[in-house]
Amino acid sequence: MDRHLLPEEFDLVVDADAGVDAGFGVAPLRAHVRACAECAAELEEARLVAAELDAMPRLAPGPRFADRVMQDVQVFEPWHVALGDFARGLVPASPAVRAAAAGGLLAGAAVLTVAMVWLAARADALAFTGEAALARFRAGFWAAAGDLAAALFGDAVRTADGALVAGAGAVFVLTLVAAMLALRAAGAAGREAATVAARGE
Amino acid sequence: MPPPPSALDLANLPDADVVRLAQDGREAAFRELVRRYERPVFSLVYRMVRDREAAEDLAQDSFIKVLNHIDKYSPEFKFSSWLFKIANNVAIDHLRRKRLDTVSMDGAPNAVSESDVAASRLEIAAVQETALEELEARELGGAIEQAVARLRPMYRQCIMLRHVEGRSYEEIAATLDLPLGTVKTYIHRARHELRRALEHLRA
Repeated sequence: MDRHLLPEEFDLVVDADAGVDAGFGVAPLRAHVRACAECAAELEEARLVAAELDAMPRLAPGPRFADRVMQDVQVFEPWHVALGDFARGLVPASPAVRAAAAGGLLAGAAVLTVAMVWLAARADALAFTGEAALARFRAGFWAAAGDLAAALFGDAVRTADGALVAGAGAVFVLTLVAAMLALRAAGAAGREAATVAARGE
Repeated sequence: MPPPPSALDLANLPDADVVRLAQDGREAAFRELVRRYERPVFSLVYRMVRDREAAEDLAQDSFIKVLNHIDKYSPEFKFSSWLFKIANNVAIDHLRRKRLDTVSMDGAPNAVSESDVAASRLEIAAVQETALEELEARELGGAIEQAVARLRPMYRQCIMLRHVEGRSYEEIAATLDLPLGTVKTYIHRARHELRRALEHLRA
């Protein structure tokens, strides 16, 4: 190379010193620097500046910096993570207790499985028992409803026509709904009046 | 399902894993990210704004912005590049707001938009330094720090990322949203200005 290094070529050499891949172009530059005192001096200057820059320290913020940051950071735990944590919290820490708990769980699961198989094998008995329970529940419900109606409207209700009772019930429910709506409207009007009065002040 | 790692384990994990734990809502992972990057981010911002109190506030804002949007982090980028990008933007915005207090000279030759010109203007601090500024100047130390402080903000960012944080040119380009050639030019010009600024000390 029969010329001095260009300013950016000094940077190429400095970067190559620092391990930056500068391609094949650096070898002739270095060869020239070895033979040229002027370029060698300038390269030395560039290296010194780079070394001083590299030696610039990282500065530390105040000791409470992390706490101040965390005060304004919203840590949100997704539900699946919370569920995993909850499940992990249920697992005992001691291996012996863990083994005992696992044994208990296995025994419980085995008993439940046997019970389910037993019930499935007797599906007809299960259906009969279910129907009987449902009929008993239904009878109890209607008896309670009849008692309530008799308490509210007198014993005549027990002997009244079914359609008449249904009509009376519907009127009762409608009246109840109308009263609730009226109360709600009155409340809203009261709040509106209070707001207007406050603005007027 | 593996148990959450302790703070000791977190210190040995790569950034991507710590970020994943933070996305799972682990507070210790958030704290680990702050611990890892509080010095680099604060150093970068402090050297940009040259005011300790403002630098702490701006570094804090940067962390809060990043950590509150950790769910939006895309693992194909380096976490640190994302964090530095936010910190740079926060610092540049601060300098723009403060511009009235400074005298601006020409913008960077490669600046293409008005905002680039504004961000790359040479800022000369008021001649009379306050006692606080004097203290800060002492803290920031030697001639190299003073010379870096006189660089244009964009040059300063590039030099800091290259030399203090050891980032590659490509990473700096990605962090600052600049073309690779522009980053190389900025760093070359910054080094040239620094050599000139320090010449008198070596004479």
